[in-house]
This record gives sequence, C-alpha cells and structure tokens, in this order.
Amino acid sequence: MDSLHAIGFYVSAALAGVGGVLLAFLNAHWNRGVALAITGLGVAGVYASLSAGFAAVVVLVCYAACALLVARPDYRTVELAVGSVWRQVGAVGAAVLFAALAYAAFRGQFAHATFTGYEPGGFKVGAFGSVAVARLLFTHDALATEAIGAVVLVALVGAAVFWRRERPRDEREGRR
Amino acid sequence: MSVSLVSVLFVGAVLIALGAFIAAWKRDLTTAVTGLPVMFAGAGIMFVGVARWGAASGAPLIGQEVAVLLAIAALSAVGLGVALAGRESSR
Repeated sequence: MDSLHAIGFYVSAALAGVGGVLLAFLNAHWNRGVALAITGLGVAGVYASLSAGFAAVVVLVCYAACALLVARPDYRTVELAVGSVWRQVGAVGAAVLFAALAYAAFRGQFAHATFTGYEPGGFKVGAFGSVAVARLLFTHDALATEAIGAVVLVALVGAAVFWRRERPRDEREGRR
Repeated sequence: MSVSLVSVLFVGAVLIALGAFIAAWKRDLTTAVTGLPVMFAGAGIMFVGVARWGAASGAPLIGQEVAVLLAIAALSAVGLGVALAGRESSR
C-alpha cells in the first residue's frame, strides 16, 4: 500500500471515529443524522483505501439513507426505562470489549500476506470489484444474500406497519 | 507510512466498542439503535481487512461481501428502529 492510500485510510478512520463520538454525545435529530453521515463517509473511505470500492459505494448509500432516517424531525423520542447503574455497567462493558478487541488486534500482527489484487485462480478483481463481489453474492453465498433479503423485507414491512400508527398528542401526554 | 492488518483491526475495534457504548449509554431508543450501524461498520472493516491480508487460501472477496451485507442489515435495523419509535403527531 502506497503512502497516498495509507493517508486516506488513516484520515477516513479518524473521520469515522469522530462521527461515532459525535453520534454518542449529540442529541438533536439533525445533528445525529450528520454524525451518522460522517461515520458512513469515513467507513466508505476506509473501504476504498482497502481496495473494496464496491463495498464503499454500498456503505455510502446505506449510511446516507440511515442518516436521512435519523435526521427526520417527526419521530418520537422514546426513553428506555433503564437505570443509571445499568447504563454505566454497559459503558464499562464497552470499554472492556474495546480492550479485548484491541488486544486481539495487536496479536494479529502475525499475518504478513500481501494483497495483489488477484484471486487465487488468476481472475482479475480490480479496484472496484463489483463483478467479483456480485458473483460471490449470487452464486457462492446465495443463501446468505437471500437471508439478508428476507431480513430487509421483514424490516420494511415492520417499519411500514409501525410508521402508519400515528399516536395523538393527548394519548402520549396521558401516558407520562 | 503504511497500513497493516493490526491497524485495520484496531480501527474496527474502536468502532465496535463505540457502537456498543452508544447502544448501552443512550436513553433514547432511536439513538441507541444508531449504535448498531457503527458496530456493523467496525465489523465490516475487520472483515475487509482480514480478507485483504489474511485470505491465503480462500477467496479474498469474501470479506467485502460480508461488509456489503452488514451495511444493508444496518440500514434495515435503523429503519425498523425509527419506525418502532413511531411518528410524532402534528395535532
């Protein structure tokens, strides 16, 4: 990997991290949408610098859609009834998870294989790789693709059903 | 300056832990759900990195494939989470 790709990788990784931190601490809908879009942009940059162009484009589109959904002004704020102690336990658990994953990453330095841009059979993948990834998606791992398609279908149907139920303001206020 | 598998795995670890923190810390349902795409992004970065550096025998594109599927699953999760929260009435 040349210096340009390395700089792109680290800048994109920093962008994704900053977006994640902003997402954790911003409260307004619009700000959270922007933070999620920044995260998606950073992740897409990381993929692009790792020669995964097709995945970068898909991530860019999906995370832009996520950002638009989160930035909508008209969904309700639902407070979860979880005590502060359990939230702090969750935060500490996230820190422990990070320590474990960082240790595992550090132990991953044994791998020294180099990426040539070619599959073992000699088939040229290229920087974008859409044809090769599509071949994997629709032939080798068709069942996984269909499973994700089923998940998307269930999520869309569920989202449509729940989104149609508009709750009147007096009912919400009576619940508080 | 170079990028190694350790760098990629470390970036993925940061994003996974950050997503877990968001999901655990935020009180609002929709904000907690936005932790999922961040976690999935970290996992996808790890998959792509391992596929790039560690795929000596298998197809190197398998990680990119998983990253694509994770991005689509993240979009589904956010859509369902926002819809579960429900629409604010204009009345």
